[in-house]
Amino acid sequence: MSKPRTDFGAILRTLVDSAVEFIVVGGVGAVLQGAPITTFDLDIVHSRSPDNLHRLERALDALNACYRDLAGRIIRPRAADLDTPGHHLLLTDFGPLDLLGAIGSGRTFGDLLSHTDELELAGMRVRVLDLETLIQVKEETGQLKDKAVLPILRQALSEKKKRLQQ
Amino acid sequence: MAEDKVLSETSPPGVFADNASFYSEEGVDLTLIRWVLSLTPTERLEVLQDTVDSIARLKGEQTED
Repeated sequence: MSKPRTDFGAILRTLVDSAVEFIVVGGVGAVLQGAPITTFDLDIVHSRSPDNLHRLERALDALNACYRDLAGRIIRPRAADLDTPGHHLLLTDFGPLDLLGAIGSGRTFGDLLSHTDELELAGMRVRVLDLETLIQVKEETGQLKDKAVLPILRQALSEKKKRLQQ
Repeated sequence: MAEDKVLSETSPPGVFADNASFYSEEGVDLTLIRWVLSLTPTERLEVLQDTVDSIARLKGEQTED
């Protein structure tokens, strides 16, 4: 795999400019909600409506996205393939981008939408999963890498609540 | 933070005898959380981006050695 310069903002800008409906989850979502963790890929849950899948495909073409294929094959994501609850692990000109059809116990874009905050981000409005739900999803997933960050996420949520009460 | 927790009058700011003040029961650094929460979402993204960039630079320097 080539080594593009990671630029989360550039990926988000392309998705927003293409009117893609998506929710930022995972490590970048956690950071945007105030948790001090580090991550090297951008995870999003996308709406799987037909119109959105076509907008997403155009955005992915603009990002020169292809699957992170261990055999080195160049496989481009197509709209029809993205209409599943599966995870699509991509590499773009601006770094890794993971498209997640569903997360945790099968939560889709529609399930998660009411658990998001719309944040102002470098002049963009971006939907980000709230910390409470991010914690629930990581608990549901039950993977060691997810469990490892739970103490930080829980403490960030606690501190955030304290700040809101002040 | 209480003044009696400062190691000495000559200790640099942020150095305290009672480290427990800085960590949650699970060992999470509270100072980092409070710092990140004090930032705007845009600033948080910039910090993350800077972190990724700095690690990439370090790895690049290692590869060149």
